[in-house]
Amino acid sequence: MATTTATITLASSDIADNALSISNTMTMTTAGTTTGITETTGLARKKVASASLADLITVANTDVTAASSAKVYIKNTSTSTDKYGLIGIGDSSGTPIYLGRLYGGDWMLFPWDANSGEDITLTMSDTTETVIEYMVFFE
Amino acid sequence: MATTTATLTLSSTDLLSDALSVSATQTLYKAGTTTGLDGIQYEKLEVAAGTQYDIVDATAAGANKANKVYVANKHTDETKYVDVFVAALNIGRLYAGDWMFIPLEAAAATQDVSVTAITTAQVVEFALIHEGKTLVAS
Repeated sequence: MATTTATITLASSDIADNALSISNTMTMTTAGTTTGITETTGLARKKVASASLADLITVANTDVTAASSAKVYIKNTSTSTDKYGLIGIGDSSGTPIYLGRLYGGDWMLFPWDANSGEDITLTMSDTTETVIEYMVFFE
Repeated sequence: MATTTATLTLSSTDLLSDALSVSATQTLYKAGTTTGLDGIQYEKLEVAAGTQYDIVDATAAGANKANKVYVANKHTDETKYVDVFVAALNIGRLYAGDWMFIPLEAAAATQDVSVTAITTAQVVEFALIHEGKTLVAS
């Protein structure tokens, strides 16, 4: 088994009267166990130059076990803080549920249920070519 | 304006043939600007088993912004998890010790973030870092 960890540090000295300092490390394990996740898509990079709704990661193109413990990392590598990629979950031929916007430099990490039709979609705010990085950890 | 950063470190020495080391840091800005998010809601609570509870409400003031949500399952039994929902969609499971960090579009009032603790009550910690939320009149 592999040991893969993800650590987040949220910090601010001035968002409130007292400093904010949240730090948390998770070890990625298979569902309901202490056994480390052993599969990943690897870190992928995709150039996007369209503002149309499209799939970024499809359930069918991965071997992700649905309703399990998969995790998804996505980053907008652009430096433009006024342009974004809108991340959703669902079918790109329908209307996904939109999670939120990744502006230039933003990243996200979230669990993925990955049932049939629950692809991860991307809609850029304009047609400026942007590189999106992503990686899936799964069993 | 406030300066808040979110740093991620992904690492493994044995998931791949070579070591995995990914690091990313973002400054949390208001939508489309370089002005820092300046609102925060930070809570820890026990979620009873079996019922879907809202932890972050989608409000009109937070719609289509760059707000960020952090959720962590603080339970210690690795067999237990909470289902996390955005709107009516179960996006995935946070097992004991897991956390997530996402931007929140909240385009409609129905797009709350909610959790259901499976099997047993579990303690969940969450934070909303935002640029405004609609208050509910008393």
